[in-house]
This record gives sequence, C-alpha cells and structure tokens, in this order.
Amino acid sequence: MDMMLFGPELYFLGAALIFFCLTLKRQVNPKTDYQIALALAAGGVAVTVLCLFQQGELFFKAYRVDLFSQIFKFALALGFFLVVTISHNLSHIEARYHAEYYLFLTTTTIGMMMLVSAVELLTIYVALELSSYSLYILVPLRRGDGIDVEAGIKYLFIGAVSSGFMLFGLSYIFGATHSTYLTDIMPKMAQLVQSPIGILGLLFSLAGFFFKLSVFPFHFWAPDVYQGAANQVTTFIATASKAAAVAVLLRLVALGSSYGYSFTQVLVLLSIVSMTLGNLTAIVQKDFKRMLAYSSIAHAGYFIMGILTMKEAGYIGAVYYALAYLVMNFTVFMVLSEVAKDGRDLKIVELAGLWKRSPILSLSLILGIFALAGVPPSIGFTGKLLIFTSAMNQGYFWLVLIGAVNGTICLYYYLKVVYASFFMDPGDLPPVPISWPTRVLNFAMVVIIIGFGVFPDQVVRLAQAAVKSVL
Amino acid sequence: MVEHPASFPYLSCMLLSPVVGLCILLFMKEEWDFLIKCVSLVSAGLSLALAIFTFVAYDKSLGGLQFVEKYEWVQTFGITYFVGVEGLNAPLLLLTGIVIFTGVLTMWELDHRVKEYFIFMLALVTGVFGVFMTYDMFFFFLFYEIAVVPMYILILVWGSTRKEYAAMKLTLYLMAGSGLIIPGILLLYSTSGIFTFNMVMLHGVKFSPWIQKVAFVLMFFGFGVLAAVWPFHTWSPVGHVAAPTAVSMLHAGVLMKLGSFAILRVAMYLCPEGFVYWKQLMALLATTGIVYGVFVGLAQTDLKYVIGYSSVSHMGIVCLGLATGTVDGLNGSLFQMFAHGIMTALFFSAVGFIYDRTHTREIHELGGFSRIMPVASAFFITAALCGAGVPGMASFWAELLVFIATVKVYPIQGLLAIAALVVGALFALRVVQTSFFNEPNPKFVHFEDVSPFLGLPRMILIGTLIFFGFFPQVMVSLIKTAVVPFLQGM
Repeated sequence: MDMMLFGPELYFLGAALIFFCLTLKRQVNPKTDYQIALALAAGGVAVTVLCLFQQGELFFKAYRVDLFSQIFKFALALGFFLVVTISHNLSHIEARYHAEYYLFLTTTTIGMMMLVSAVELLTIYVALELSSYSLYILVPLRRGDGIDVEAGIKYLFIGAVSSGFMLFGLSYIFGATHSTYLTDIMPKMAQLVQSPIGILGLLFSLAGFFFKLSVFPFHFWAPDVYQGAANQVTTFIATASKAAAVAVLLRLVALGSSYGYSFTQVLVLLSIVSMTLGNLTAIVQKDFKRMLAYSSIAHAGYFIMGILTMKEAGYIGAVYYALAYLVMNFTVFMVLSEVAKDGRDLKIVELAGLWKRSPILSLSLILGIFALAGVPPSIGFTGKLLIFTSAMNQGYFWLVLIGAVNGTICLYYYLKVVYASFFMDPGDLPPVPISWPTRVLNFAMVVIIIGFGVFPDQVVRLAQAAVKSVL
Repeated sequence: MVEHPASFPYLSCMLLSPVVGLCILLFMKEEWDFLIKCVSLVSAGLSLALAIFTFVAYDKSLGGLQFVEKYEWVQTFGITYFVGVEGLNAPLLLLTGIVIFTGVLTMWELDHRVKEYFIFMLALVTGVFGVFMTYDMFFFFLFYEIAVVPMYILILVWGSTRKEYAAMKLTLYLMAGSGLIIPGILLLYSTSGIFTFNMVMLHGVKFSPWIQKVAFVLMFFGFGVLAAVWPFHTWSPVGHVAAPTAVSMLHAGVLMKLGSFAILRVAMYLCPEGFVYWKQLMALLATTGIVYGVFVGLAQTDLKYVIGYSSVSHMGIVCLGLATGTVDGLNGSLFQMFAHGIMTALFFSAVGFIYDRTHTREIHELGGFSRIMPVASAFFITAALCGAGVPGMASFWAELLVFIATVKVYPIQGLLAIAALVVGALFALRVVQTSFFNEPNPKFVHFEDVSPFLGLPRMILIGTLIFFGFFPQVMVSLIKTAVVPFLQGM
C-alpha cells in the first residue's frame, strides 16, 4: 500500500495522537496547546497539498483516492487550519479542555476526510459517524448556562434520527442491488430509480448529509447549535463540515443521474423550500450566529441546486461554491470571533461602529457578507452564477428565478449587518485590537475572496478535472 | 459586427484607473485628506482623458467595434473578457468620465470619512465603465452589480433626509431587478446552444420567439428598475434626495443610464422579436412616466425632489425613444442619455452647493437666492433651462429627435409627452422664479458666492451642455454609425 495515498489521514491520525498525549498532561498550558495545534494544522495543509494529485484505491476498493477527494481533503485541512488560527482566544472553553477541543476537532476532520474518499456504503456510514460523534462532543464543550447542553442534545438527537433514516435507506439500496459498492450500485440504479424503493432508498440515504448541510427538513438543529456552540466550533461546523457534506452528496446523487424525474423533483422542492425558509427566517434574527445559521440553510438550497443538475457544469459549480462558501463563511466567523473576544454570543447591533473600532475587520466583514449575498466581485457571486447557469442549462427556469429572487430577500438581512458595522454609532463599545497574524489573515481572506471571484478560471479547471471522476 | 483590435489596451486602462486609485487609497491613512482627494482626482482624470481620447479617436468612417480587447476568461463556461467601443457606448463612456471627474471636484469640501467615501465611489465608477464597455454578458452583469451595491453605503453614511430608508429601498429595488435579469440572461445563454456569454456571438443565434419574449420582458423590467421605468421608479426620487451630492450626480447622471443602455444593449440587441412584441408596453410605460414625473414634480417643494421627479420624466423620454425602434428615436434616446446625464449632474451639483451652505432645499425658504449667490444660482438656472429644453442646449436636440420619431410611430403618446413637457417647462421656470428671484431670505445674506475653484466642475458641465447644444452633429454623427447597423441587424 502506498503510504502517500493515505497520507493526509495518517498525518491527522498522528496529530490526534499528539493531542491525546496533551490531554493527559497534568498542568494546563493553553498557550502551548495552541502553538502545537497551529503548527500541526499548518503541516496538515502542506501534507494535503503534497497529496493533491494522488490516484488509487485502498481497502478492497472501498476507498478511492482521486482528485475529487484530494481537493476536498485540502479544503478540510484548510478549514481545520483556519479554525485553529482563530482559536487563540478560547475563553469560553475551560482551559483544561483545550487539548480535548483540538483532539476532537482533529478526529472529526479525519472522519470527514475518510468520508470524501469512501465509495462503499458502510465505509461512508462509519466515516460519517466518526465525524459526527466528535462534533456531538465539541458542541456542549462550551462553558455556558445550559444553552450549550440544549444545543448538544438537539444536535445529537437530530443527528441520530437522520443517521437512522440513512441506515434505513442504505438497507433498501443494499437489498435491491446486493452490493455496498457504489461502482456496483451505479449501473443497477438506472432501473431502480424508477421504482419507489429506489427513490426512497436514495433519498433516505441522503438524509445523513442533508442533516450536515442543514437542508430542510433536517435543519432544525442549525440555529440552536450555531448559537449554543463555542464560536470556533460553530465556525468549523459552518465551513469544513459543509464542504464534506457537499462532497459526499455529489458522489451519492450521481447514483440517481442515469434517470429519475421524481428524484430530481424532490431535490428541486427541497432546494426551493430550504432557500426560501432560510432566507425568510433569517430576516427577523437579532443574534448574529442565529442569522448565519438561517443563512446556511438558505445556502444549502443553492448547493442542492448545483447538485441536482447531475451534469458536469452543475457539479463544477457545486464544488466551486463549496470551496467559496468555506472561505467566505470563515471570513465572517473570523470577524465574529474577533469582535466577541470573550466568546459571548454576538448580537448584530454589537457590531455597531466596527469601521471605527477596527477598520480592517469591518473591511473583511463587508466583503464576506457581500460574498455570501452573492454580490460581485467575489467568489460568492461567481459561484452562485455558475450554479444558476448550470441549473438553467438543464431547463430549471423556475428554480433559477426563485433562486434569484431569494438573492434579493437575503440581501435585506445581510445589509443589516453592513448597516450596523458601517453606520451605527459605536457608543461605548470598545475598540477591537487585533494582532498582526490576524491582520495578515484578514488581508489573505480579502485577496482570496476578490481574487478568485474575478479570476475563477484555475479553480474551475481544477473542479472540472475533479468531477470527471465522480460522474 | 466588424471588430478592430486595439493597438494599446486603452479601455482596460480606463477601467483599471479607478481600481488602481482605489487600491492606493486602501493603504493610505485616514488623516491624509488632501492626498486622498488628489489620488482620486488623478485616477478619475486619467479615465476622463482616455474617455475623451476614445470618443475623438473613434474612426467613424471605419465603423464597427474599435479598441477591441478580447481574452478567454473561463473557457468551461464560455466567459470572455471582451471590451470595445462603438457609437452606442462612446458617448456614455465620455459622460461617465465627465461626471466622475466633476463629481470628485464637487466633493472637495468633504471632511467626514473621506477615505472610505472615495474608495466606494471609485468602486462604483469601475462598475459603470465596465458595463458601458463590455460585450460579454457575464461581465456585463458583474459590473452592473458592482455599480449598484456601493450605493447602499454611500447613501447610508454620507446621505441626508431619511437616508436609511432611502438606501435600503434603493438597494432592494435594484437587487430585485437583478433577480429578474439573471434568469433572463441565463435563459438566453442556455438556449443558445453555443454556451457562450459573448453578446456578439449570441446576436447571431436565432432564438425561438417565446424565449425572446420571456427573456425580453424579464430584462426590460429588471434593467427598467434602474432606468426608473414607471411604476418601478419610486426608489429614484427618494434615493436621489438622500444621496450626497456627488453620488446623486453619479446616480442620476450615469447609473440610471446603465438601465436604459442595458435595455438597448442586451434586451433589444439579443431579443429583437421580443422587442417588437413588447414595444407597445414600453411606449405606454414610458409615456406614463413622463406625464407622471412632470405632474408629481409640480407638487414638490424640495429642490432635490423636483430634480428627482424631472429625472423620472426625462428617463421616460429615453425609454420612449428606444420604444420607437427607429433611427431617429434611438439617436435621440442615446443623445438624451448623454445630455440628461450632464444636465442632472449640474442640477445636483448646484443644489448640493446651496444645501451645504444653507442646509435647506425648500423653494420658499431660499427666496431670492440669486442676489446672494449669483453664480451658484446661475448654475441651477442653466440646468433648469436645459431641462426645459431651451434651444442651444444639448437636450433640446435630443428631445427633438425623440419626439419627431415618436409622433410618427406613436402619435397619441408622442403628443401627450410633448404636452407634459410644456407643463414641465412652465413649472421649471416657476421654481426658478420662486427660489431665486423673490425677496432674499435675510438668514442667508452673509454667505459668499462660489469660489472659482469650486465653480470649475460646474463650468465644465455647462461647457459640455452648450458645446453639444451648438454642435449636436459631433454627437449624432457618431451615434448614427452604430444605430443604423444596429437596427439593420434586428
């Protein structure tokens, strides 16, 4: 077995071991924990870049390493790294738990990495649960007044229910095709998708990922978990976790690509309901993280729109948008966790006068928010347009129209953030000092958001090469 | 369309000049007021110089698309960076150059968050230049949005009079318009069968009639929101009133033209059959806008509202000209876009100056303002005369052309529009009389008149109006080189 094929996973497994040793230490030193984590995370990004062009199969062909999986592994490592960079003020997680926090963050990353490579149903399930269980622990780690526990339980319950649905669906598929390998299932699905058992099996199997992506009707956890979990944990759930979910959905939905009118109709419906519901509910939110939670539900609708085209263009759009979403959502969360240094939940009005309190943060915030809203020149705009384009190519006129109208609705609540940070008087809110690494990170994010929004060609080509192996 | 490649990337330089200025501003300190304004002025001036150059250097005998630059951008999706100049957009590039240059000069006295102001303003201008010069639908839409969104912040932070309401209303209206534009554009893209955003190539595709009808109406209303087509105009007076002076100038002067230009460039160009099907509606809405704008304007007492509603009616004239679908109509319409742009910029610039001193725009409070500030008042009066369509001003010729064309094609609408404009002219004179030639308000007697430096931008605008008033042929002959082939191609 070529070690390089399994390189990223092995690296993160090693990192998890190191963190495990750190948890055993008697005296607590959050500062060293952070530095070690930062170094390991940076190494993780480097390793995934090195392994980007690996090709091969492992473990009796249950595990496929191709450009598609490696891109997402890179995205996950990047997400992990970014989340660690903003973990220097974990004031709301008790100092003695910091090592555990890094440990479970690492294990959930491993789970997701395995998820994007898994091409066998049971492997997919096990990988999914590995990533989920770590998150179930991470969510209630926050020192809180009960809200963390509520969030943790809600996350666990809805996660467990969706896992149940998923197993049920997988059993249908297995029962009908006598195989758990996607490569074997694929040719048999063409016939199967026309029967109820095929559609139900496929839809239920997607439930686990709909949950992760917070697609309607598995979205109930999002607002409470976003609000209840520590800011950094929320950041991870909102960025890396989504990217992994999109990756697996792309693999699984491809199963229905041969045919399946009713299957796509269901996806169209889920997409429309998700974006409309998310956007309309986000309007009335006062808490910044809750608002972002509803916005993530709306974005899940856009992802589904790219996925349901089941054509190369749509998949390219979805991959591009998943990477873009990771960057832009992270940018917003970075600002959030910098402004709320003590780890409190940030109300939107608490962003008041940010342009005065920290000009650079307000610049990143406005760009991140505009990117989420799909305003050019940003990766968010380009990604959204690619998705709309591919959906229109498949003749989903109404879906695109509704998506575009949703783009207007969402602008209202995104503009409220801009309004607070750019116009409202700061009052007695203190200035937000930021260290120079954070400053560099801010500039990097700004450059990425605009740069890849205006010059998307390289990313699109990469995504194109990647999705070839899925379809 | 014949394409002549550029020997030097003039258009990209015109586009990048504000971007470079913006990037320099990002790294400057908030306190360096004067330097910030200088950088903005230089980058705006460079764009203006290039705009004048392309306007003058455009070879009319050669025709077609000149100064073309074309690069593959995203091959997978058929996106090209494709810019060029022809008779349709050369006047509008010039207009943008003039308005931004004078706009920076007009805001020379700004002292509140100067750096950010110019950053957003330059971003907006980049978008405007981009829309006017690009021939790729992806970039067209990209620049269109870039031009629209910074408005929110510009009005919110530097505006006046109900600015929060106005900013939100304006942004949501315009973004709702974008919500219609995207499906329209993508419908054409995906049904063309060649999967390209290149408009010149799409023009060669014969779309089926129903697609043309659907796409046209989506884009007409989508872009029409920005062109203040009645009944989607309500954001415009409110927005213009609330915006700071230079932003009003840019917005009424240039941005609204993006809407009408886009209707011409994208909707009419790509969906000729859709245009034929919907043109009656276009003419009707345009006429309603003209009449409505004039009569609602009658009831206003705030100078900026007066101008805001007059813009609605003048943009109605632009739309009416487009709806005729004749050479004269399109000539007049494009000329009117240019003339109205300069005229409104002058209007807002003059009012802005008065408002900065007196903090009122109420017609009755100003009283005999021409005795206190004769020069500042003269600017406003000149603009008002131009708005009333006095011969010797650029808009006289523009309106004349449109009305000649309209009376031929839509006699009833044409006569109604002319009647409304006569009423409007009477009213404009009354406004001028009440606010400038009554008894002066003693509160304002101590104010000094415009200094020569601050008067400079207004003088440039007046000079342009008069120049094209006396030599309309310079403009019309240029526009004609594009309009004739444009209509033949439809």
